[in-house]
Amino acid sequence: MSPKRILLVDDDPDQRLTVRLPLEAVGYEVFEASNSEEGLKAVKQVKPDLIVLDVMMDSATAGFQLALDLHSPDPNSEYIEFKDTPIIMLTAIHSTTPLRFSPDEFYLPVEIFLEKPIETKVLLDKVKSYLGE
Amino acid sequence: MADSPLGFSDTHNAIPLQKQVEPLREAELISSTDWFIRIRWLAAIGILVGAFLVGPVLQLEMPASYFAWIGFVVLLYNIILYYIARRYRQASASLSSFSRLVITQIALDWLSMGLLIHYSGGIESPVIFFFVFHVVIAATFFSRSISFALTILAIFILTGISLAEYFKIIPHIAVGHLKDFPLYSDPLYIFAVLVFFSSTVLVITFLVSTITERLRRREAEVVNLSANLLQSSARLQALNESARAINSTLELNEVLNRLVKNTAEAMSIRACSIRLLDKTGKLLQPVAAYGLSQAYLEKGPLDLDNDPLDRKVLEGEVINLSDASSSSLLQYPEWAAQEGYFSMISAPLIGKNKPLGVLRAYTNKKDHFSSDDELFLSAIAAQGSSAIENALAFQTIESLDATKAAYIRVFTHELRSPVSVTRSLLQTLSDGYVGEITDQQKDIVDRGIRRIEFLQKLIDDLLDLAAGKTPDGTGEVTEGVVLEELVDQVYKRFQVPAEEKKIELICQDEAEPGVTRVWATVEGLDRICNNLVSNSIKYTPEGGQVIIILRRDQKEACICVKDNGIGIPKESINHLFEEFYRAPNAKAVQREGTGLGLSIVKETAASFGGKVSVESELGKGTTFKVTIPLLSSN
Repeated sequence: MSPKRILLVDDDPDQRLTVRLPLEAVGYEVFEASNSEEGLKAVKQVKPDLIVLDVMMDSATAGFQLALDLHSPDPNSEYIEFKDTPIIMLTAIHSTTPLRFSPDEFYLPVEIFLEKPIETKVLLDKVKSYLGE
Repeated sequence: MADSPLGFSDTHNAIPLQKQVEPLREAELISSTDWFIRIRWLAAIGILVGAFLVGPVLQLEMPASYFAWIGFVVLLYNIILYYIARRYRQASASLSSFSRLVITQIALDWLSMGLLIHYSGGIESPVIFFFVFHVVIAATFFSRSISFALTILAIFILTGISLAEYFKIIPHIAVGHLKDFPLYSDPLYIFAVLVFFSSTVLVITFLVSTITERLRRREAEVVNLSANLLQSSARLQALNESARAINSTLELNEVLNRLVKNTAEAMSIRACSIRLLDKTGKLLQPVAAYGLSQAYLEKGPLDLDNDPLDRKVLEGEVINLSDASSSSLLQYPEWAAQEGYFSMISAPLIGKNKPLGVLRAYTNKKDHFSSDDELFLSAIAAQGSSAIENALAFQTIESLDATKAAYIRVFTHELRSPVSVTRSLLQTLSDGYVGEITDQQKDIVDRGIRRIEFLQKLIDDLLDLAAGKTPDGTGEVTEGVVLEELVDQVYKRFQVPAEEKKIELICQDEAEPGVTRVWATVEGLDRICNNLVSNSIKYTPEGGQVIIILRRDQKEACICVKDNGIGIPKESINHLFEEFYRAPNAKAVQREGTGLGLSIVKETAASFGGKVSVESELGKGTTFKVTIPLLSSN
């Protein structure tokens, strides 16, 4: 069985490294993209099983926009085949600031938020569970 | 205004007063009609009794049947009058109908009086004295001129009867012995009686109507005064209400709209407006209006260079124009004329340091506003000024807050991001995902991680503190938080850390039964509880106990976190809530700590209107108590 493919979209190369190394160490195949545009292109090429997405990239909402595009329920969407691809969103926003994001808000179609700094073990656990392993 | 038939002179011109006087006058008219009718029953019965008793008892020869007839007639017309009055009352007839009814009664009464005098001896009749009653009654109820007219009518009736009998135009009816001494044909006697009768009734009319008039004036004064009092109290109430209304909100538009509406209603005027100086300080822009036409408002801003009225007002004067349409002070007098705004008072809205604008009241009457109105408007304006200034300040604060929130967001990302990435990088290294490292290398990396973790905590605490200090930093309070649920979550969250340290964590709900709903946000309360419980666990040695207690009284809820840990030295208690302060024994237990936790607790509790207190004994334990108002008491 070929390894599961994970796409990592984050503009911070260091952050990508800290996510990539543990994921590869446990046997996933990891692909990287450094902004939304690249991310959308990579999705079509890589056809990932799971996406790890940074909340703020080019702009404060770039990550959200990307998630919205991918998870759009519109049947004519360009990305309809990725409608159910799980997305883990990484955020540096501190939970107690007024800007509190949570996945139950309808316009944030992501599976879960993980707050930075990322606990490697937590990340690996979540990846595992969303990939149904 | 002319005197009304019933003698109430309309000396009052204020509209509300008129309304006060009308019902009074009506009530008196109706009651006097009733009173006349009641008295007349007695008079009629008196005549009937007299007709049948006086003759036999005094053994006088007298035409009893005539008197009886007169008595019956009086009785009859009184019955008719009674029913008419009743119908009028039921149909709430007009004032003039009642007025006519009273005049009719007087006319009928005096006619009967004339008949009675004629049949009891004309000029010789002792019944003449009874005319005095009628004169007194008339002078009591009617205005002076009508009273005198009626009195002169009485004199004419008596003079007419005596002259007619003297000249034998009508027969003289003698009563008793008087037929032996006929006085009715004695000119001197007739002259004397008429002169004395006339002077008596005229003097009585003068005296009674003078006294009555004086009483009426007093009464009018009382009515006037009580109307003024009512008006003043209504205005005071309006002032009070407007103070409450405008101070209960900080929204500028709301403040302005309430201000114009309350002012117009309190002064019972047609329109009211507020214009505020714009940023140029030269133009007055309309910001709120009540009762003004859109066209009038859109006539353009007032330019102080062309607007002497508002120049003066902004210097602090209250200006009362009796006819704005012809005033040279106005920038657009033709507009005022077109809209029919004649009287106009303008009062300055002046802030602490500078004029803010103009509060203006309008009516469509000329010369409408009194000096009382000027005082009232300037009182409202003074009150409004501070409310407007507060609202303006609030607007500034709100925009500052927005900037601050944006700043905090950037700060969060920019500062947290590199720190957290560094930590993750080191962690990746330490966890061996990039290959084996030696124990010494791992030790060095782990030390780095611990220092970075402290930096991370410091950043988070600073953000928490900032959030607690921002009015809405803890999010919008919408429906309150149920403390039972929140405390339970905190309890569950800390079970594992407590177990790891072999500390017994207990949760006691002493607020049962019912739910404790407080005016706060989940984030804020979490922050408070997390800090307190984690402190207690941190500063309580192994085998100790930490108890979270929830209490509630009528007004507030209380969360206590009680431990039997190391306690706080007395000298540290006062510094405990200072930012970055850490007690020496706390430092000894754990070297690293931001010293911000309790400041965060205090600021956050304060943002919900709550308080934090602490009781502690060194070496025995500490109890922190946070009280927060219940949702219902807000």
